[in-house]
Amino acid sequence: MDFFKPANLEELLLKMQESSENRYLLAGGTDINVQIKNGLIKNAEVIYINHLAALNGIKETETEISIGATTTYFDILHSNLIKKHLPYFQASLDFFASPILQTSATIGGNIANGSPTADVMPLLLVLDADLKLISKSNSRKIPVSDFYFGYKKHVMKPEEIIFKIVIRKNAEEGYQHFYEKVGARKTLTIAKVALAGLKKEKSGKIKEIKLAVGSLNEFARRLPKIEAYLLGKTVTEIDYNKIDELLNLEITPITDLRSDKEYRYHVCANLIRTFLNQ
Amino acid sequence: MKINFLLNKKPVTIDVDPMKRLLDVLREDFQLLGTKESCGEGECGACTVLLDGKPVTSCLVNVIQAEGKEVLTSEGIAEEPLGKLLIDCFDETNAVQCGFCFPGFLVSSYYYLISNGELNLEKIKKALSGNICRCTGYQKIFESVLLACERK
Ligand SMILES: Cc1cc2nc3c(=O)[nH]c(=O)nc-3n(C[C@H](O)[C@H](O)[C@H](O)COP(=O)(O)OP(=O)(O)OC[C@H]3O[C@@H](n4cnc5c(N)ncnc54)[C@H](O)[C@@H]3O)c2cc1C
Ligand code: FES
Ligand code: FES
Repeated sequence: MDFFKPANLEELLLKMQESSENRYLLAGGTDINVQIKNGLIKNAEVIYINHLAALNGIKETETEISIGATTTYFDILHSNLIKKHLPYFQASLDFFASPILQTSATIGGNIANGSPTADVMPLLLVLDADLKLISKSNSRKIPVSDFYFGYKKHVMKPEEIIFKIVIRKNAEEGYQHFYEKVGARKTLTIAKVALAGLKKEKSGKIKEIKLAVGSLNEFARRLPKIEAYLLGKTVTEIDYNKIDELLNLEITPITDLRSDKEYRYHVCANLIRTFLNQ
Repeated sequence: MKINFLLNKKPVTIDVDPMKRLLDVLREDFQLLGTKESCGEGECGACTVLLDGKPVTSCLVNVIQAEGKEVLTSEGIAEEPLGKLLIDCFDETNAVQCGFCFPGFLVSSYYYLISNGELNLEKIKKALSGNICRCTGYQKIFESVLLACERK
């Protein structure tokens, strides 16, 4: 395996300009080391990025929190800044992998690896987070919902990297929130179904609603049809048959070693019900 | 590539493939056989060591990640007063059956003692939730850590 350790961000971005068919960034290594072990990554070019200070850490501006790509889940779970502004986001990640993996696993690696089960995605989707992508010649901010377009397919150009994740400080303020990751056990579980939700009510009516699911499509996504249906309704006006019908249009669950598609569909429908009645 | 780090408090340098797993470096290059491999995929915790004071699964850590940092293995912990206390408590409670998982549990329990140490079963269970014991001796393992929290 070809290995490169850039001295700084400049050098990393310069290296990324070179074309390469089989290149991986090594952040925490919790995904790529499993892929190496299972022979899915072979003779690759590996670029180490975990030591680069420019990519690491949690910072604030007046209105935003930014989380550097190589920030670990341990650091997110222990951050006072995140606890203060984004307590729902923080608490929802508590059961990510296990305590001894949270110390290595990074948020940028979680997003870039692109598994439809990535725990952080439904949360970032309901928080309307942005991703900052950079390359040597360019820097752009995209809504997290624009990042994937297929199974493990994303819009990053070969020379681009995830620089940071940006969340507005008031993204969860004043909302009722919901997050449930359903798996075979509490820790060390890959989600069979995950639902994140935020809602605001006014005079008994749903004034704002955001729902996002993981593990139910080729990539995590919002449920815009159900959101649109729910807007302006009171709890008693909700027709759950209608929601089940819309859910069928929004999710494409699969049967795999963890569960079958009917189970996934029903669990998701039940989670939505639980949230709306809470 | 030359890599320097602190291993059980002693500075070491090795010339090694930077992608080599920390687990293999410890076992093959330093003959520290306490750190075990079971799943090799982050699922079982048999390979747990402390990297800069935090528990990691050394089967998913490449040695480059240890550069300039401090690695503490079960052997190093066994020399620490709280490590000795934990070993005594595991011994008294008969918490070790085949013993394969024990070094990993020792590291996670030690981290719990130094980072929290509260006499709280739920917190202990959570702190040890990345470690698996195939002999399923969890009850006694939890009792051992509770005992250590009481005595420390
Ligand atoms: C036992 C086990 C349990 C797990 N449990 C969970 C779980 O509960 N929930 C969950 O969501 N995941 C889980 N995972 C998956 C994994 O831990 C996460 O996806 C993790 O966040 C990956 O981050 P990393 O830094 O380790 O990635 P790495 O392995 O270092 O990299 C992963 C990929 O991301 C790319 N990459 C990394 N950083 C960047 C960047 N800044 N810009 C562009 N590309 C980048 C790399 O090229 C590589 O392809 C688990 C893994 C294991 C082994
Ligand atoms: S061998 Fe590393 S976690 Fe199982
Ligand atoms: S004592 Fe045998 S695996 Fe735990």
